Amino acid sequence: MKPNSTKHTLFFLMKLHFLPAFALTFLTVLSIPVSAEIEDSVLRVNSTLQGYSPSQPWEKTSPRKLRGLGALLSGNRVLTTAQMVADQIYLEFESADSTQSVPAKVIAVDYDANLALLAPIGESGFLSKMKPAEVSPPSKPGDSVDIVQLEDNGSSQTTSGSIRSLELLSTFISGRYFLCYEVKASMQTEGNSFTLPAYRDGKLCGLLSSYSSKDQICDILSSDIISAFLKDAEDGEYQGFPSMGVGFTTTEDPNFRKWLQIPADQGGLYINRVLPTSSANAAGVKKGDVLLSIGGHPIDRKGYFQHPDYGPLYWTHLVKGSRKVGENVEVEVLREGKIKNLDLLLRKSGERLLASHLYGQAPPFLIKGGLVFQELSLPYLKAFGKDWATRAPMNLLDILSNPEDFEEGRRRVVVLTRVIPTQATIGYERMSNQVVESVNGQPVRGLPELENALAQTPENGLHEIETDDIPYRIYLDQTLAESVDQQFKASGLPSLSRIYSVE
Amino acid sequence: MRFFLSPALLVILILPSLGQFLDPAAAPAAPVTVYDSVVRIEVSTQTPDYRTPWNSGRFSGGIGTGFLIGQNRFLTNAHVVSDARRVLITKRGSSQKHPARVIHIAHDCDLALLEVEQFAPFSQLPHLEFGGMPKLESEVSAIGYPVGGDRLSVTRGVVSRIDFRPYSHSRADSHLVIQIDAAINPGNSGGPVVQDGKVMGVAFQGLTQADNTGYIIPMPVVGRFLKDVEDGEYDHYVDIGVSTFPLFNPAMRKAYQLEADGKGVLVTRVVPESQCDGVLERGDILLSIDGHEIDSAGNINVGGEFLDMNEVVERKFAGDGVAFTFLRTGEKKDAKVTLKASEASRIYAMKYGVTPRFSVYSGLVFQPLDFNLFATYKFENRNLRKLYDEYIAEGIFEKRKDIVVLTRVESDQLTSHMSGFAGMVVEKVNDAEIVSLRQLHDILHQKNAPEFLKIEFAGGSRPLVIPSADAAKAHPRIMAQVGISREAQLD
Repeated sequence: MKPNSTKHTLFFLMKLHFLPAFALTFLTVLSIPVSAEIEDSVLRVNSTLQGYSPSQPWEKTSPRKLRGLGALLSGNRVLTTAQMVADQIYLEFESADSTQSVPAKVIAVDYDANLALLAPIGESGFLSKMKPAEVSPPSKPGDSVDIVQLEDNGSSQTTSGSIRSLELLSTFISGRYFLCYEVKASMQTEGNSFTLPAYRDGKLCGLLSSYSSKDQICDILSSDIISAFLKDAEDGEYQGFPSMGVGFTTTEDPNFRKWLQIPADQGGLYINRVLPTSSANAAGVKKGDVLLSIGGHPIDRKGYFQHPDYGPLYWTHLVKGSRKVGENVEVEVLREGKIKNLDLLLRKSGERLLASHLYGQAPPFLIKGGLVFQELSLPYLKAFGKDWATRAPMNLLDILSNPEDFEEGRRRVVVLTRVIPTQATIGYERMSNQVVESVNGQPVRGLPELENALAQTPENGLHEIETDDIPYRIYLDQTLAESVDQQFKASGLPSLSRIYSVE
Repeated sequence: MRFFLSPALLVILILPSLGQFLDPAAAPAAPVTVYDSVVRIEVSTQTPDYRTPWNSGRFSGGIGTGFLIGQNRFLTNAHVVSDARRVLITKRGSSQKHPARVIHIAHDCDLALLEVEQFAPFSQLPHLEFGGMPKLESEVSAIGYPVGGDRLSVTRGVVSRIDFRPYSHSRADSHLVIQIDAAINPGNSGGPVVQDGKVMGVAFQGLTQADNTGYIIPMPVVGRFLKDVEDGEYDHYVDIGVSTFPLFNPAMRKAYQLEADGKGVLVTRVVPESQCDGVLERGDILLSIDGHEIDSAGNINVGGEFLDMNEVVERKFAGDGVAFTFLRTGEKKDAKVTLKASEASRIYAMKYGVTPRFSVYSGLVFQPLDFNLFATYKFENRNLRKLYDEYIAEGIFEKRKDIVVLTRVESDQLTSHMSGFAGMVVEKVNDAEIVSLRQLHDILHQKNAPEFLKIEFAGGSRPLVIPSADAAKAHPRIMAQVGISREAQLD
């Protein structure tokens, strides 16, 4: 994992209280006249978001609204951040002066990279009077950037700043790092808006995803990533960024380097895990290898490589950001003191045992007779509160720490998350968060398999459910469970399962 | 803790300490002689510091209460005299301090027996007599030397609840307690709680978040302690080491071919190496314990009293037997086991009066995991927490006497990139699985060491490696730099 300072990701939720007179002076100093082209491509994106309750996944949480900005691109497409559309139930475009609006839909979204491409539903309305922006070629440190905001009255304000450095930052899903510009700029808050387009020489060069008012630093997702995202989305089938699929740690400790026989002039990252479905595994990368270079770029002992234009960047950019799925890349590793060159065919990151987010797909679940089954995910663990990393049940946290111990025979971890008191679950009320091992003798690889196992008629009319904790094996009367399920339906539970079939 | 700042209240509180107004003889429930046998105990303690186990620890002290129960036998709480370096006993109405020592201490039920070096000054005092269980709503008096003055204090309260509750001294034990509505304050600990001149229990703990709630150790627990030490040694409480699950669910009962008669409880876990290991197993249905029928919730009925089946064992001693009847795959069986205390399960109990074990090598500090260490470091590592949690239940203790933790990495040029390993459990050293601190210590100090010392951790992102020659060289250097006086305490 790359250590990095977390900034305010909720952009502009903090209110600055300036005296009006002062604010005016401030703006005068910072504002520059906006060129007509820039202004003509910025519009408002309004979204209504509504997620699902982590503990009662058949229910939705209360909806909330987000107002942000987007940039109009050619073909009536609008680029904004994925944050704006995650869990969206309604989207619309609104003109800068707020007089006109058009309903919108998502064409492509990448939650990891925090990008979303939208289009109007039906008539393009006011969009046709706007002028689409072009995407700027890559920017370098020192380049000047104009960040656009819209005021309530419809007029636009831009703030200029210069790119201080390029860095890999995680702007939405934690642990997913993509190339961003760090721009020093003093900004005013205009409305409560997420996502601000940034321009260089009149062309779209990035999307601002967070701003630290204390340090006056903006994180702007780079045009490199935007271009790659748009290119991928062109054919209407968005693939996503490739991933190598390894776990790693640094090699700064000289003792460790001696043991690994890394020459003094080399850097290298120690590979401590290779995901079974990954590109790295297919290419023969092994746990214990030292990753020395990718595509001819040497990686230093902390994990950085020297980018010819951008300076030092974290190595993952060599995979996620500068290459596409399906491309080949040469990887150099040190194994037992000898250098090996491996040819890596880049794949999309494989399905993880624990989903890191549940956006774009309602969480699957199954209720049987009052037993509630869910697939374990990171959002489920995080729902245990601020101290979830220590407060969530130990058996579930163990799966997060040591997924390799649970991967065999499983696609997902099915958890008996809770027990609703019914006639069928007498005596089971206190059971919660137990990992399901098997049902009616069949191993449970995921919810679809659980559903199949429960669909069969057990010999003695009792479903047998084996779990990882006391009492390890419980029984459910099939007939009673069916009638309880009917009661649930009658009492207003919209559905007793949400299961996605697997190919 | 509450503070009364009202001047009116302060006056009232001060008055009794002037003497004249409270004539002990005027209290009919407790004759004057009872008060004389209640002594003040002054203790100086030395508590080891688990962060720097080679150091002497922290010096401190406190005041508690005790009472005479026999020829040179003073009863008090274990927590009053835990980690004591010096114990002094003072008689009521005297300022002379008599050196005393601990004869028996039972941390699991928070009781201790003391004796003074010279008993002569106490020989005329009556030995307090024990009573039984007080009735709910009956009045009792707590006698002792709590904060707020130097002289004896008596508070009256009503028995408000009799319950099975945790004993906070060891953090790992629960026994019967009596809750009274008199405040028990610091210093009251170890003092008798009397009714009609007879001891009904020993005052021992209160609640920080509730007013006028005091807890006392009732006679069944006190009596058990005194009986246990009769042979000159305290053997601890015993436990059957069996977890059960209620058999309420009709489907569950049907699967185990049981009638719907509300009887029998499911065995879900038998602690490895416990006395029931090999006798009972998961899936057995327990039907009775010592002839008492067990219901489907695991409760029994003893003479009209509704108890958890484990309470049968609560009253027994190591070496006593307990008889079960149970069903295994439909067949009725009988078994009798001899009870013993589980040493390994004390990993979850706070330890007192012991020198912490550790081993330091080349700036790496290793310590065995127990409650004291956990309380000191508040470990967050998930692999460590899991091992700790499952140490008994999953029988980890059978293989690993100690769970050895790298607790600290002392600063040195050699160890400058290793601080991230602190707080992790050692799995292997030079490919040998680590099962005890001593074994780890021996491997670290072995002759003919391999080229690299390699330590692997549970869930570690990489092994910790040091060239053995460099480690040997750095060892004395770091000891001197950090001021570590001893390199190990293995027992």
